[in-house]
Amino acid sequence: MNHCRCLNCITPPHLLEKLLESSDSRVREAALKTLLATARLRGERSVRGFMAAAGVAPSNGRRTVFDCANGTFLPFADVARTEDGPASSDASVNNAFDGLGATRDFYREVLDRNSIDDRGMRLDGYVHRGFQYNNAFWDGREMVFGDGDGVIFTDFTKSLDVIAHELTHGVTEFTAGLEYHNQPGALNESMSDVFGSLVKQWSLNQTAEEADWLIGAEVFTPGIDADALRSMKAPGKAYDNPTFGKDPQPDHMNKYVNLPDTDEGDNGGVHINSGIPNKAFYLTAIGVGGYAWEAPGHIWYEALRASNISTEFQEFADTTYAKAGILYGTDSREQQAVLAAWREVGIRISGVRTIAAAATRWRHAPATAARNGRAEDSAAALTRQIESLSAQISVLTKDMAGLKGKARH
Amino acid sequence: MKVTLAQHGGQAAAINLRLPPQVVDTTTLRADEAGALARLVADATSAPQAAAAAPGKARDAMSYTITIEDGGRQTVLSQSDTTMSEAFARLLAWLQRRR
Repeated sequence: MNHCRCLNCITPPHLLEKLLESSDSRVREAALKTLLATARLRGERSVRGFMAAAGVAPSNGRRTVFDCANGTFLPFADVARTEDGPASSDASVNNAFDGLGATRDFYREVLDRNSIDDRGMRLDGYVHRGFQYNNAFWDGREMVFGDGDGVIFTDFTKSLDVIAHELTHGVTEFTAGLEYHNQPGALNESMSDVFGSLVKQWSLNQTAEEADWLIGAEVFTPGIDADALRSMKAPGKAYDNPTFGKDPQPDHMNKYVNLPDTDEGDNGGVHINSGIPNKAFYLTAIGVGGYAWEAPGHIWYEALRASNISTEFQEFADTTYAKAGILYGTDSREQQAVLAAWREVGIRISGVRTIAAAATRWRHAPATAARNGRAEDSAAALTRQIESLSAQISVLTKDMAGLKGKARH
Repeated sequence: MKVTLAQHGGQAAAINLRLPPQVVDTTTLRADEAGALARLVADATSAPQAAAAAPGKARDAMSYTITIEDGGRQTVLSQSDTTMSEAFARLLAWLQRRR
């Protein structure tokens, strides 16, 4: 019998493939979903070809864009464009329509997720909300866009990452449900920035090195001296001008901003402290290299799905590390990138000691007496200690993998 | 009467944290403008908030604190994009047009 290499998989792939030929459509669909989930966890995309062959219905996520005509009461808005209807003469309508579609397609193609709720939820967008409204938001069911005042902000439908950011709030609500305050809220915001940026990168076919990692770069008017609303690559450096002051986002836990859990305090700084996990994702993506939506995106998505309403930074970091090990292997390049990224923003993965940290401790330890009564060269002693520790870690890692496998069976 | 508007949250929450509140003093307004503001304030303070489509689930929505100081009395109205009454929305729009 072939054993699935994925630790979460019990049913062998050859059996699942046989079930794809079942005359029962429910059996075919269940087998296909399992195969796709397994392939997705492995980062494989070629298996999507099974979908057409198995005759499974395509995903939904039908789009409708409404025009608020500068009102704020959404039920009064008029239908401006439907999924199968013609393009509008209104650029904002078309921008919103295209952005909803790109986000829907990303979740379907990259993460095998059928719209926001993974059940084909309709995607509704409302444009021209209010008078010179400097914002876009997710109201729990739909997206709402403002036109901007034309002085500081412009039309919020121009920013694909903002559109994807807002829709990802819906994804978070249907998965972890991270509460919108303090650290869980900052994680909530960070997830939206992460997948907002990934949708943009995916649409532009950009590698992590090529991406700008900016959120909302297009929402400012030309006269405003600001790169974007936020920078994932350099939190705290998105803007610095007399109008706004300096970007207050931290890029490290030692700069965490303690704000009251009130509207005035941004619910404990959810849009502020998101800079820390944002930076961790950016560093992971750069550390792994290539397209950020592949390994890093999958690790973060699986970690999101494994989180809950009160998950804070430390727990989430630990989960990303664990998921990286499950998806790509213990001590894999991907897992090491996750470890290093969180360390660089001041979060050490629980229970994991790096060789570098151990070497630091040894450098400060007394010199070891050697054979023949002579003191050993300290560098040689350090090297032997590192090699010994490395061998011990390898043994422990194999033992852990074996214990996990036994626990599942 | 002095009316102060502070805006919070939204995509530009970090920027909104730094911006000073907007203050309108009716002694600096024309009589018709002061009268209009007084009517808007009266309507907004007596209107109940609207029910949100998905209570507690809005993300990146903005909230607004309007403080009315009149004759030694202070009234504070706090509503959000998803819960504001029509009267509050009209008062808010009037204030925002004067920024």
